[in-house]
Amino acid sequence: MTLSSDQGITTARKTRTARWINKSNRSVYYLLGIIVVAVTIMALLDPNFFTARNLFNILNQQSTLGIVTMGVAIALIAGCIDLTVGNLLACTAAIAALLLQAGVSDVWVIVLPCAAGLLAGAVNGVIVVKTRIDSFIATLGLMTIYQGIALIIPSGNNIYLQGKFGWIGTYRVADIIPIPVFYFVLITILVYLVMRYTKFGRKLYSIGGNPEAAFLAGINLDLHKIMAYAISGLCAGFTSLIVISRIGQSQPAMGVAYPLEAIAAAVIGGVSLSGGKGTIPGVFLGAILLGLIRNSLNILRVPSFYQYVMLGVVVIIAVALSNLGAARRNR
Amino acid sequence: MQLLLEVKGCSKSFPGVKAFNKVDFDLYAGEIHCVVGENGAGKSTFIKMLSGALRPDEGTITIGGQVYMHLTPALAHHLGIQTIYQEISLAPDLTVAENIFMGAEPITRFGWIDYPRLKKESKTLLDNLQIDLDVDALAGNLNVPQKQSVQIAKAMRMDARIFILDEPTASYGTNEISNLLGLVKQIADKGVGVIYISHHLEEVFSLYDRVTVLRDGNKIATHDQSEVSEEKIISEMIGRDVSKFYTRASVDIDYSRAVEFLDFSNGEAVKDVSFKVHKGEIVGFAGMVGSGRTDLMRLIFGAGIKNSGSVIIEGKEVSIHSPKQAIQAGLSLLTEDRQKTGLILDHPVEWNVSIVHLNNTSGMFISEREESREVSHYIEAINIRTPSLKQEVRNLSGGNQQKVVLAKWLYANANVIIFDEPTRGIDIGAKEEIYKLMVQLSRQGKYIVMISSDMPELIAMCDRVIVMRQGKIVGEIGQDQLSEESILTYSIGGTL
Repeated sequence: MTLSSDQGITTARKTRTARWINKSNRSVYYLLGIIVVAVTIMALLDPNFFTARNLFNILNQQSTLGIVTMGVAIALIAGCIDLTVGNLLACTAAIAALLLQAGVSDVWVIVLPCAAGLLAGAVNGVIVVKTRIDSFIATLGLMTIYQGIALIIPSGNNIYLQGKFGWIGTYRVADIIPIPVFYFVLITILVYLVMRYTKFGRKLYSIGGNPEAAFLAGINLDLHKIMAYAISGLCAGFTSLIVISRIGQSQPAMGVAYPLEAIAAAVIGGVSLSGGKGTIPGVFLGAILLGLIRNSLNILRVPSFYQYVMLGVVVIIAVALSNLGAARRNR
Repeated sequence: MQLLLEVKGCSKSFPGVKAFNKVDFDLYAGEIHCVVGENGAGKSTFIKMLSGALRPDEGTITIGGQVYMHLTPALAHHLGIQTIYQEISLAPDLTVAENIFMGAEPITRFGWIDYPRLKKESKTLLDNLQIDLDVDALAGNLNVPQKQSVQIAKAMRMDARIFILDEPTASYGTNEISNLLGLVKQIADKGVGVIYISHHLEEVFSLYDRVTVLRDGNKIATHDQSEVSEEKIISEMIGRDVSKFYTRASVDIDYSRAVEFLDFSNGEAVKDVSFKVHKGEIVGFAGMVGSGRTDLMRLIFGAGIKNSGSVIIEGKEVSIHSPKQAIQAGLSLLTEDRQKTGLILDHPVEWNVSIVHLNNTSGMFISEREESREVSHYIEAINIRTPSLKQEVRNLSGGNQQKVVLAKWLYANANVIIFDEPTRGIDIGAKEEIYKLMVQLSRQGKYIVMISSDMPELIAMCDRVIVMRQGKIVGEIGQDQLSEESILTYSIGGTL
């Protein structure tokens, strides 16, 4: 439409974006700052830290959690908590290992577990959406169901890959860059593009930000939540391939720590548990920061029992800082 | 008679509004004192001051001979002031008896709750008030009037001396209303002073000992029973100089083209509503709060579950079962609560403006450059004052937030625009800008529906006003007869 100016409604207003970019990406800059400081301190403390090998190690170690976190973050942005990813990952790992044992070609060993993850995620989404149970509770129940399935599929056994399938998780490009780092970075870029430049991504932000307003704007809430859960399941399914390839076996109890660590990484990266907020670069850095701290504590020879305590403290401090910032803004 | 309460010269200001202006009020034991006024007359400010939720800027409140500058909720409670609001505050999983004695349960020697006594005393209390309810029933299973009576019983248990009822019958049927009115009379007979706030004049007339009329925060008059007529009270409730209000430019209406809404019902709040809007026409919806106007618009927009109802746009029927279909048919709904249902407060202005357009056009991708350009265009066209496109909507003023909501529907190319309380809570300057925009839109040939509880606004803006009451259309007023008297008469159940 056009509105004529004789109604006294004209204002030329320069709307520039610079200020908001600083603001919305503040948590990204925070994190970058913290990471730079941590890396500098560690580099000064220990000469072995700041080597290409160790830095790639950190990335490599975080790649599996990082990929899972991308899926969990997508669901969180849409206002959905997904606690199933860890046990679901154990299920798809068992499927992959059984397929390998049966001598199926590598292509199918990649495709089928990913498809299973996607499908299971969609089922999670349907259950959350149709039963109207709070997503935390619904996926808590589902998590236990997958825990059972992860035991049922391989009859409770570890399944050894006997040297097959090693390339997907342990190959190093140019003998130095571990291939999972490539997956992690590629998936991060893909998710970033989807969340920022597609209508699908924007809809997820809208649904998480205000479901009622999104509904009245013509968005199909249920469909998009189901899709968010499906993507989260797909990420878990793909991650299971890297994990079994690395450790040479599938274990029914693997992955149990993933859901909470992934949520922690996403929240450190600026994602809000109530949905609608957070950027993918932030989530990426959140996952990196967790790995960096763990690696640093290892290098400093902090006993692993204490590492858990330290990690918990870091998570609480990071989230408290971002909450305090939000509270100040809304006052 | 014993004087229970005396309010002297109480005032209260909010930024930009004098909500309550040097009001005097008194209440005697055993009296039912009704308070009437339009929406925004200061009734709720008055209640909040008496229940201790608001502090008066000046004036005194005298209770039982003691003079107070202001009350607190605890003090009000201590002095025996009990307020019954429209919203029910019972614990749904506890029984009637447990709710009545919540926080003051009789206990046995060993500190356990004495259930036999709890039940017996509840039963006695209910019998005294002639309330017929099972004390073992769960509060959650009761209907609204029953819950209301439990709340009243609970308040009586707490030795209420001053009883305030705020629009208690908003969602009642006729039968239930007469039950409640009977209960209120009984309470007064027991020597309690009752302040009864309502905009249903027939209730007031069947109940009152005295009635006080408020308008724009001022007390207009207090009348004794039998000295006043309904017409007199209506004229006192209105009494505003309408000519000072906004004067809009006139627009030619194309009567050959119309959007028709037929037989909308949802079985409860909306009953068999049909109306039509012509091209370029602004049709107002008046009625008291709770008359079903908002529910009707949500039904039309596909956001509620309807039993029946069809939309015919310029002769062609369109099927609408979801907001998405409504949007594709060219409808738009600016909801009454823009912060809760119209905007995503944490998201930037830009995202809020483009949301409907993006979600209802083809293509998968977002071009940020095009988005910024288009949104900038609307921001300039309707003069949204924001430091940047990226500003979070939360930080804008109410008027600018409303314009963001409007911009999103304009960008979505809406043809039928439903405004629900478009100027609620925004300042007078921004109101006029919204009015101007509405007139411009009608000039462009849009179909405009406007719900408002602000009668001068309806009269100034609308070509025609439809009045709803209890889910039905009870009157339609053309411009020649449009006045606050005619609207109010229909709204409270009268006829012209």
